Amino acid sequence: MTGIMTRIAAVALAAIAVLGDAVPGQARTLVYCSEGDPEALDPGLVTTTTAMSVTWQMFNSLVEFAPGTTDLRPALAESWAVSDGGRTYDFLLREGVRFHANARFTPSRPLEAEDVLFSFLRQWQPDHPYHRVGGDFAYFRDLGLAGLIEGIERLDARRVRFRLKEPDPTFLPNLAQAFGGILSAEYADHLMRQGTPEELARAPIGTGPFRFVDYRPGVAVRYRSFPQYWRRPREAGTQVGTDAVEGLVFSITPNTAVRLTKLKAGECHVMAFPGTADLDAVRADHDLALLSGEALNVAYLALNTTRPPMNDLRVRRAISLAIDRRAIVEAVYGPAGTVARNPLPPSSWAFDPDLPEPAFDREAAARLLAQAGLSDGFETDLWYLPVSRPYNPDGRRVADMIRADLARIGIRARLTTRDWNAYRAALYSGAPTMMLYGWTSDNGDPDNFLNVLLGCRAAEPGGANLARWCDPGYDAAVKSARGTDDRETRTRLYREAQNRFREAAPWVPLAHTVVHMGVRRTVEGFRADPLGRALFEGVTARE
Amino acid sequence: MRVGRKIALVGGVPILVAAAIAAAGWILLTQGERARAGALLAARAYHDLTLARMVRDDAVAARAEERAAFETRFFDLTSRAGRGLETLQNQARTRGQAERAGAARQSLDRYVARMRDFSAVARENDGLIAEMGRRANRLTDLAEQARQRQQASNVDLARTITGKVNRLRATRDVVMGLNGLMAAAWPLVLARQRGEEADAARIDRGRLVQAGRDLAAALRATSHEPAAAEVAALTAPQPFDGAAGDRLTEWGERLLKIVTSEQRTLDDEVAQLLAYAVEANATEQATQNIGIATLRLGQRTAEALARRDTEAASAMLGEGDRLSASASALPISPLIQSDMIEAIDGWRTRLATTMDGLKRQNAMIAEMDGLAASLSEAARALNDDALEDADRFGTFLGRLLLAGAAVGLLLGALVALLVARSILVPLRQLQGDMIALAADPKAEGLSGTQRTDELGDIARATNFFVTEIGRRERALRRAKDQADHALEDLHQAQDDLIRAEKLASLGQLVAGVAHEINTPLGIALTTATLVRDETRAFQGLVAAGTLSRSRLTHFVDRVGEGTQLLCANLTRAADLVHGFKQVAVDRASDERRSFDLDVWLGELLASLQPMLRKGGHRIRRECPPGIVVDTYPGVLAQIVTNLVANAVVHGFAGAETPGTITVRVASTGALVRLEVGDDGSGIAPENLGRIFDPFFTTARSRGSTGLGMHIVHNLVTAKLQGRIAVESEPGQGTQVRLDFPRAPAGAERPGTARRPAGAEAP
Repeated sequence: MTGIMTRIAAVALAAIAVLGDAVPGQARTLVYCSEGDPEALDPGLVTTTTAMSVTWQMFNSLVEFAPGTTDLRPALAESWAVSDGGRTYDFLLREGVRFHANARFTPSRPLEAEDVLFSFLRQWQPDHPYHRVGGDFAYFRDLGLAGLIEGIERLDARRVRFRLKEPDPTFLPNLAQAFGGILSAEYADHLMRQGTPEELARAPIGTGPFRFVDYRPGVAVRYRSFPQYWRRPREAGTQVGTDAVEGLVFSITPNTAVRLTKLKAGECHVMAFPGTADLDAVRADHDLALLSGEALNVAYLALNTTRPPMNDLRVRRAISLAIDRRAIVEAVYGPAGTVARNPLPPSSWAFDPDLPEPAFDREAAARLLAQAGLSDGFETDLWYLPVSRPYNPDGRRVADMIRADLARIGIRARLTTRDWNAYRAALYSGAPTMMLYGWTSDNGDPDNFLNVLLGCRAAEPGGANLARWCDPGYDAAVKSARGTDDRETRTRLYREAQNRFREAAPWVPLAHTVVHMGVRRTVEGFRADPLGRALFEGVTARE
Repeated sequence: MRVGRKIALVGGVPILVAAAIAAAGWILLTQGERARAGALLAARAYHDLTLARMVRDDAVAARAEERAAFETRFFDLTSRAGRGLETLQNQARTRGQAERAGAARQSLDRYVARMRDFSAVARENDGLIAEMGRRANRLTDLAEQARQRQQASNVDLARTITGKVNRLRATRDVVMGLNGLMAAAWPLVLARQRGEEADAARIDRGRLVQAGRDLAAALRATSHEPAAAEVAALTAPQPFDGAAGDRLTEWGERLLKIVTSEQRTLDDEVAQLLAYAVEANATEQATQNIGIATLRLGQRTAEALARRDTEAASAMLGEGDRLSASASALPISPLIQSDMIEAIDGWRTRLATTMDGLKRQNAMIAEMDGLAASLSEAARALNDDALEDADRFGTFLGRLLLAGAAVGLLLGALVALLVARSILVPLRQLQGDMIALAADPKAEGLSGTQRTDELGDIARATNFFVTEIGRRERALRRAKDQADHALEDLHQAQDDLIRAEKLASLGQLVAGVAHEINTPLGIALTTATLVRDETRAFQGLVAAGTLSRSRLTHFVDRVGEGTQLLCANLTRAADLVHGFKQVAVDRASDERRSFDLDVWLGELLASLQPMLRKGGHRIRRECPPGIVVDTYPGVLAQIVTNLVANAVVHGFAGAETPGTITVRVASTGALVRLEVGDDGSGIAPENLGRIFDPFFTTARSRGSTGLGMHIVHNLVTAKLQGRIAVESEPGQGTQVRLDFPRAPAGAERPGTARRPAGAEAP
C-alpha cells in the first residue's frame, strides 16, 4: 500500500508537469456548487431557476437578457422586426450557428428555421409528436402563449415569423426565457427515427457555450465547453481574452453549509446562495467574494384555495394574520431579506407602495378562525422547501417558525417535504394544502409574477399557480395589462391586481431577498444575475 | 591415306567422343550446377524464412523500443529470401518450378506486407499503450490532487463544524435562558390569569432579573444584540405588572420560536456537515481506490497486452467499464471527476482500439504463420526439386561418362589398331631396306618410294640421304687425300725449314768459330812471323857472326816469348777447334750424352762470343760446377744459341749501351733450371703471347724467319721433355726459363703443340 501511494505521488508530480501545458494557470474545470437537482434538462420543461441555469449553459434563445441585466439583446436571432401593430414578429436567424454533437448524433447543418419551429411547435401544438415527450410544457402554457400565438411560420431557412392573436409586450421578454431555448429539429428527427424520442430531454443538444456530458441526480451535471460556439469569447463579456474552461460542472450540493465548505476548500468556484448566517464569514474570507444583487423574486406560502379549509377566505386571512413574517425575515433572511407585502418585489415598476404591510395580529386571526367555525383549529399539511432557494435560504426553518405561529391559533401544521424535484412536482400537481415556494422573475416583467404565478391559466393542474387561485377580476386585470404597451395603464392594472390579491390572500407573501453568490476570487467573468440565472459563458478561473 | 590423317583419325575419334562427352557433361554439369545452386538458394531462402519467422516472433514479443531492430532484421531476411526466390524463379528449369517460386514470392510479398501492417499496428498500439499509461498516471494524479484537497477541506470542515457546534451550544444556552426567564415570569402570568392583580408584588424580582441577565448574556453570545437589549427593557418595569408579564411572555415566545428554529437549523447543518465530512472522506477513499484500481488495472492490462492476451484485455476493458461507472457514480470532486472519467474513458477507448489492433495483429500473426508455413513448404519443395534435379543430372552425367568413355575407348582402340597396322607394315619394310642399304650402300635403293604417304616420303628421303652420303664420303675422301698430301708437303717444308735453320745456325756457328779461331791463329801467325824474322836476323848475325851475347840473350828471350805466345794461341785455337768440333758434333749428331753443364756452357758461350762482340755485349755465366746432365747437348746448344741470338738481335736492337746476357743454371732435384736473361728492351705484351708461334717475328725485315722460338719451344718440350716460360716487360729485359730433367725418359716425347701465349709449356 505504501509503495503504491508513493508511486501515485511520484506520477502525480510528473502529471502535474504535463497538465501545466494545457492552459497555464487556468482551471480546466469550473465547478458551480448549485443548490439542487434540476427538474429537467429540457429548457421547455424547466420551471426553476436551478434547472433554468442548468439549461442556459447548453441552449440559446432567439433573444436573451444580457447577463446581469434585464436588457434584451439579440441571440440566435440576429435581428427581428415587429409589425402588424405588435402582432407579427419576424426573426432573422444568425448564420452558421452550430449545434452540439454527442455519441448518438452529429449535426449535419447549422441552425435553421426548422429548429426554431420545432422548439416552439412541440410546446404549442398538442398533437406535435414531441408534445408529450419528457413531460409537460407548463411554463409555456402558464405564460398563456398557447392562446396568444396564432401561428409560427418558416419564411425561409433563416427567417421565422411569429403571429400573435393580440399584441403582447411580454412576448419578446418571454422568448428570452429558458423555454425559448432552441433545440435541434434534426436531432429530434433522428431520435424519433431511432425510436428514442425521450433522449431529447435526457441528452440535450443545443447551441450553447457548453455541451451536455452527463447528469447524475444528486451529484452533478457535467458539461464540456463547445469549441464551435457561435459567440466569440470577447462578445460573451469575458474580461480577459483567455481561453474558456474545458469543463463545467454543476455540483449539486443542497446544504448551504456544505456548499460553503466546498467553496472554501476550492471544490467549487462559485456557490449558490450562501446562508444568511454565513455571509459575514464569506466576506471575511480573503479567498472569497460575495456577489449580491437585488433579485426580482418573492418567497411565499401558497394556500391551496381549492382545498378546504383554504377555500375559505377567512381561514386564509387568519393564516396570513397569524404568521409573524418579521420574525421570519429577521431570523432566516437577516439583512438580505425584506418582508414581502405582495407578489411583486419593491424594485418592480408595478409595485404598489400604497398597500400597507400585512398585519401580524394573532387575536384577529383567532377571531377569523372562530368565524370560520374552526375555533379549535385544524390540522393541515405544510410543505417546506427541501433546498435553499434564492428566495428562501432555509425552507425548513421558515416552516418551523410558521408552524409555531400557526400553533398559537390552533392550526396544527404537519411539516412535509420531498426531494426537490418530487417536491416541485407535488406542488405543481396541486396536492399540498400549504406550501412554501418562491419565484424569481425570468424576464423582469410584472406579468412574470402576477400572471404566471397567479393567473387563472396557471391555476390549472400542473400550472405554476400553486394556490390554484383563479379570480376573474384579477385575471382580467393582469391579462389586460399584458395587452398593452403603456406603462401607466399597466401599472394601474397591476396595482388593481395587487389589491385584489391582498383581498383574496391566496398566498402569504414572506420575503424578497437580495440574492448572494459566493465566488472564489480566482473566478473572472461571473456576474450576479437579477433573473437568478447562473451563467458561465466566458467565465474563467485561475488555478 | 596419309599417316597424319590416320593419326588424326586415331587421335580424333577419341577426342571427338571425349568432346561430345565433355559437351554433354558440361551441359549436364551446368544444369546440375544450376539445380544445385537452386537448391542452395531454396535452402537459403528456407533458412532465411525460418529465421525471419523466429525474428518475427521476437519482434512480436519485443518491447516497443526493441522492436525496430527485429523488424529491420526481419525485412532484411525476407528481402534476401525474396531475392533468392526471384533468382529461383528466373533460373527455374521447369515451368512448374518457376510457378512455384513465383507463387512463393507472392506469398512472401503478402507475408512482408502483413508484417508491415503488423508493425504499423504495433506502433499504433505502442502509442496507444503509452497514451493509456499517461491516462492511468493522470488518474492517479487526479486522485492524489483530490486527496490533498480533501485534507485541506477536512481542516476547514472541522473548523466549520466546531463553529456550528459552538453556536448550537450558545443557541441552546439562549433557549435555556429563555426558558428560565419564562419560568420566572410565569407566576405573574398565572396570577394575572387568576385575576390576582395584587399578587404582582410578590413576584420574585430577583429571580426575574437574574434570568433576564443570563438570557441577555446568552443572546449576546449568539449575536442577538437587539434582543439582549430588549431583555433588560422587558424585565425593568417597576412594578412588574401583568402587562409587563404579557409583553415578556409574548416576546419570549417569539424569540423562542426563532431560536429553536435556529437550533434545529444548526442541528441540521451540523448533521449535514458531519455527513458530508464522512461522505467526503469516503469519496476521497473511493477516489484513491479508483486511482489504485486504475493503476493496477493499467499494469495488468499492460501485462495482458504484452502477452497479447486479448481475452484478458477484454476482461480489463470490462473492469475499466465498471471503473468508469463507479467514477461517474461516486460523488468525486467535480473538479477532477470529469477528468477522471475522461481519463478512464480515454483509457478504455484506447484499450479497445489497442485490443482491436491486437486482434488484428493476432489475425496477422496467424495469417503470417500460414504464409510462413506455406512459404517454408514452398522453399523446401523448391529445394527438394532442385536437389532431385541435381542428383538426376549427376547420375546421368556419370552414366554418360561411363558409356562415352567405353565407346570412345573401343572405337579409339579399333581405329588405332588399324592405323598402326597400316603404318607399321611399311615401316618394317623400310627398316629392312635401310638396314640392307646400310650394309651395302651400293645396293639397290629402298622399295616403297612410289608410295604417296609419309612412308613413301621417308623412303624417298632415305634414298636421297644414302646417295648424298655416298657422294659426300667420296668427296671427303678426296679432300682427305689432298690434305694428307698437303700435310706431307707441309712437314717436308717444315723439315726443310728446320734443316735450313739448323744449317743457318750451324753456319753461324762456323762463322763464330772461324772468328774465334782467327784471333789465336792470327796471333800465332804474327808471332811465328816475328820469330822467323828474328831467327833470320839471328841467323844473319850468326851468319854475320856478329852475334853478341846480349843479342843472343835477347833473341833467346824473344824466341822464348814468341814460342810461349805461339803455344798459347795455338793451344787456344786447338781448344777452340776441339770445342767446335764437339759443338758441331753435338749439333749434327743429336746424340744424347752425359756432360758437365758448366764446362759445356763455357764452351758454348765461347762459341757465341763473336755474336756478342759486335755490339760489345757481355755475357755472364752463373753455373755451379758439377751439374752433370744426361741429355741432348746439341739440342740444348741450339736452344741457348737461339736464345742468346734473340737477346742480341731483338733485346739489344737499337740499344745504345751494350747489354748483358746472363745465363744462370740451377739444379733442383731431377730438374735443371736454365735461365737466359737480358736487360734489353723486352717484349711488348701483345707479342708475348705469340712468341712461340711459328713465323712470328718482329724483325722479318732484318731477315728473321720467325721460327727460332718455335723451334726452341719444340726442342724443349719434345727433346728435353722440359718446360719453357718467357717473362718480359718492355724496358725490363727478357727472362727465358727452361726446366728440364737431368735425364729425360728414354723415348722422345712427341712435340707438343705450341701453347697459347703466356702459358708455361708443360
